[in-house]
Amino acid sequence: MLLLILSFAFYLFALWKRPFLYIGLAIQTAYIISRGIDLGRLPLVGPHDTVTFLAASIAAFSIPFATALKERIQFQRLTAGTAAIFTVIALISKQHNSPLPPVLKTFWFETHVVLAFLSYALFGIAAILAYLHLKEENTYLEGPRYRAILIGYCLFTMSMIFGGIWAYLAWGTYWLWTPKELWTSILWLFYTLYLHAQFKQWWTGKPLAILGIAGFAVVMFTYLGVSLLMKSSHSF
Amino acid sequence: MRTLIRHITGFFFSLNTTIWFTALLIAAFLAGAFIMPGRKEFESIHSASFFQWLIEQPLTVTWWLWLSIAILSIIVINTLFCSIESVIKKRKVTQWLLLISPQIIHVGFLFILLAHLLSSIGGSQQMAAAGEGTFLKISENNSVLIKDINIQLSPDGYVNDWAVKIEYYLNNDMVKEDRIAPNSPSLYEGFNINLKDMRVVPTEAVLLQINREPGAVWALTGGILFMAGIVMLIALKIKTEKR
Repeated sequence: MLLLILSFAFYLFALWKRPFLYIGLAIQTAYIISRGIDLGRLPLVGPHDTVTFLAASIAAFSIPFATALKERIQFQRLTAGTAAIFTVIALISKQHNSPLPPVLKTFWFETHVVLAFLSYALFGIAAILAYLHLKEENTYLEGPRYRAILIGYCLFTMSMIFGGIWAYLAWGTYWLWTPKELWTSILWLFYTLYLHAQFKQWWTGKPLAILGIAGFAVVMFTYLGVSLLMKSSHSF
Repeated sequence: MRTLIRHITGFFFSLNTTIWFTALLIAAFLAGAFIMPGRKEFESIHSASFFQWLIEQPLTVTWWLWLSIAILSIIVINTLFCSIESVIKKRKVTQWLLLISPQIIHVGFLFILLAHLLSSIGGSQQMAAAGEGTFLKISENNSVLIKDINIQLSPDGYVNDWAVKIEYYLNNDMVKEDRIAPNSPSLYEGFNINLKDMRVVPTEAVLLQINREPGAVWALTGGILFMAGIVMLIALKIKTEKR
């Protein structure tokens, strides 16, 4: 836990100087690895471990985007701040330390979860870029945002497919009618809409930026809202 | 008449149709996401094939599903029209792979929808509790015998592993032996048998789930095509940007 508190502190320092983000990320990665060694599995079950992974993924993905944006200070601050917020959520969330049921010990499940959280992180980066676009009214952020969403969409689609394969092997069906599956479809359709809308002049600029921010709100509800509030195969 | 046909084809060839009908589908799913948890009708949604369940339920709780089916039908025609038009219009471009990769994604999407359609028509799910020596009838002539149940517990009482040995019988003749384990269901004659739950005391018993999922192969094919298309598209875009 000390490592996680330290990573939070460094993310806060990163609001001031960028290199602190690298230190925070390195410490958080060390924490994730130590959790994995302690548990003897990928630490990606339950809100504590998944939010920690999400915070580290946002910090990690912010590095290539910050480089492409030529070290823009606002982007750096917002990504460091977002990583810090998710680290706090991880700190106050319950750890899942009990052994996994045999059905979760499979490549398909682990890959499904990893890909989902990497895509959530990219959708988060896209939302930050969209916010900056609206704030600064600067259209050159559209390109990086499109790249973040396209790669995020690719990873999210792969996560859904891997999840479907796992569900078929574990439960005999690749689709279950539960609120989580429905929200996952809503999220996928939302970014499908985004990727098609960017070809139409009417949507470019402000409307797409608003969609980019709204998309991350859907991500958060799909991940935390549905898991906490609704009964499903993905409940915490 | 000609104007009407032009309007209809124009509607199906339009990217605006894709965008607005996707938005409408999101709205229908959103309505469903709030209706579903509060209605007990949805507890039996997996007990029969989807379409059979759908026609038996009141329209007041299933309207969003009917609306989604109607919207998806329009999106399917729209996807076909737009993909064919795109290939015809741009067939002479030099970057052929960049042209074809979105169409591979579209074909993958259509295969996944076909999978859902097939499973919605012919899919089924049954549950059966069984102990060692229990015979379960899975179809008119086929039955399955639960030969052996093996559940391994850790010292603190968690289930570490499990396996169930079974035998298939066709008209009282044993035709196949198989084993069900975590993430390793038994597949036989279109049936997929897996373990839903288990009990250790007073005697070892299992709750088996016997599924028919006719769309599974189509869903897998669609998924592979979708992934191949989107990975190809990203790779080509990165390559184009680097030039």
